[in-house]
Amino acid sequence: MNTAADILFGGLFQGSLYAMMAVGLALVWTTIGVFNFSHGVFMMLGAYLAWQFVALGFPAYVAFPLAVALMAGVGWLLQATVVRPLIGRANLVLVVVITTLAAGSLIENGALVIWGPRSKQVPPLLEGNITLGGIGVSLHQIAIIVITPIILAALWAFLNRTRLGLALRAVAQNEDASRLVGLNVTALYALAFGIAAALAALAGIFLGGYRFMTPVMGADPLLKALIVVVFGGISSISGPIFAAYVIGFFEAICSYYFGLYWTPALLFAALILTLMVKPEGLFTRSGRGFA
Amino acid sequence: MLNVARLTVGYGRVTVLDGISMEAGRFGNVGLFGPNGHGKTTLLRAVSGLLKPRGGAVQFDGEDITGLTPRAIVGKGLIHVPQGNTLFPDLTIADCLALGAYSSRARPHEAANREKVLKLFPKLRERWRQRVRTLSGGERQMVSIGTALMSHPKLLILDEPTLGLAPKIKDELCKSVLDISKSGVPLIVVEQDVEFLLELTKHLYFVNHGQVETEIKPGENLAHSDIMAMYFGH
Repeated sequence: MNTAADILFGGLFQGSLYAMMAVGLALVWTTIGVFNFSHGVFMMLGAYLAWQFVALGFPAYVAFPLAVALMAGVGWLLQATVVRPLIGRANLVLVVVITTLAAGSLIENGALVIWGPRSKQVPPLLEGNITLGGIGVSLHQIAIIVITPIILAALWAFLNRTRLGLALRAVAQNEDASRLVGLNVTALYALAFGIAAALAALAGIFLGGYRFMTPVMGADPLLKALIVVVFGGISSISGPIFAAYVIGFFEAICSYYFGLYWTPALLFAALILTLMVKPEGLFTRSGRGFA
Repeated sequence: MLNVARLTVGYGRVTVLDGISMEAGRFGNVGLFGPNGHGKTTLLRAVSGLLKPRGGAVQFDGEDITGLTPRAIVGKGLIHVPQGNTLFPDLTIADCLALGAYSSRARPHEAANREKVLKLFPKLRERWRQRVRTLSGGERQMVSIGTALMSHPKLLILDEPTLGLAPKIKDELCKSVLDISKSGVPLIVVEQDVEFLLELTKHLYFVNHGQVETEIKPGENLAHSDIMAMYFGH
């Protein structure tokens, strides 16, 4: 009983975190066709802003949404300064890797100057612990497990059930054709980056609620998000979401049976195998590629 | 309706169009033809705002639209179906047509235009929820043109609508293009098939070396041999 509960809980929790980290990265990739290497730093900044608002005396239910909203603005700003001016370049993907890495490094060191290296923690989403199926879990983790699917479902509905979401998906597929039906491509890029940064901030708040925060806390989640996105397939939003949960459960099972130290090695082995068999990612139809 | 005056367009250091002039609307539809790589597509891309002209002017419906964004130009009812039915491979037909009606000008007419499109291309109704990438070349072209019709065009530009299609499909599509014209939407059509252009209009431009080399107005007779002479020299 304990085993099943451990694996189920661990998988759901890690999967939710990974999904939250990766979905913004996937959104930017599918709409703009670039990898945003400051995505991890967005998580860090979101967590620090949330911490700052709490420190200023705001209650968490004000501080967290405020931090998320502010990060949407930061995402927009970053897009306008280091991504949009480069669009149209032949080597866009590589150039944006460099510019977003650079911007991320600036933000990271800025955070170090402002907030210092001492680790901090944001208050958890919910205080307290409970015992479920024989294992003790914190309510913060339960909250993450519950909130994440709701947010992801809302994002899915936005992308697939609204006109604006349709426009975002269209821009991802053909920029010229999007212009010719009258879409404001620049605004849609800004929107994608804004949403991605807001989602990153939320992931950061999730992380900061159960781990200690440092200015470099985004590096590891960024790597995880990249793995998730590559594993799930980079041409859709739902691929990485499924992949996040698969990886979450994979890690939960591996760390239960093989131990924590073997988990990363096994994960990468699985990743390499997957990419050898299905280079386009686990959950992507083997399409003929974008025409 | 559309007036292009001494338009200069280029990519980087290359000048593709060097002061090209043309007009559309005075004699109904307009046909553009000429060898590949001589500026027809570039001209259309500059007219619809995808390329910024270096000089000259474009007027549409009495307004200067030179250098406007494609979005603004779509908002005025000048709709461009680009060459090669690339479109949105992972959207369904339903999605594409909904996108066509994205501009605020087209939205009030969405339902009526959808009926028109589905009457013109009944095949699209059968494949309504299918992704564009799973369609045949002819069907994709139907989606392209259908999407443009959803934008409620005042003037519709078609860039080689029959490119790469099998003869039978091509004939069907040509018939549909003629139907669109009959329904009252003026067209600018680029085609290699001059026979088809002649069915559509008596107002043709022969584009060569980034220039209008010959303009053929209604009333001026044109024999097949004249066209051959234009393409291949004398």
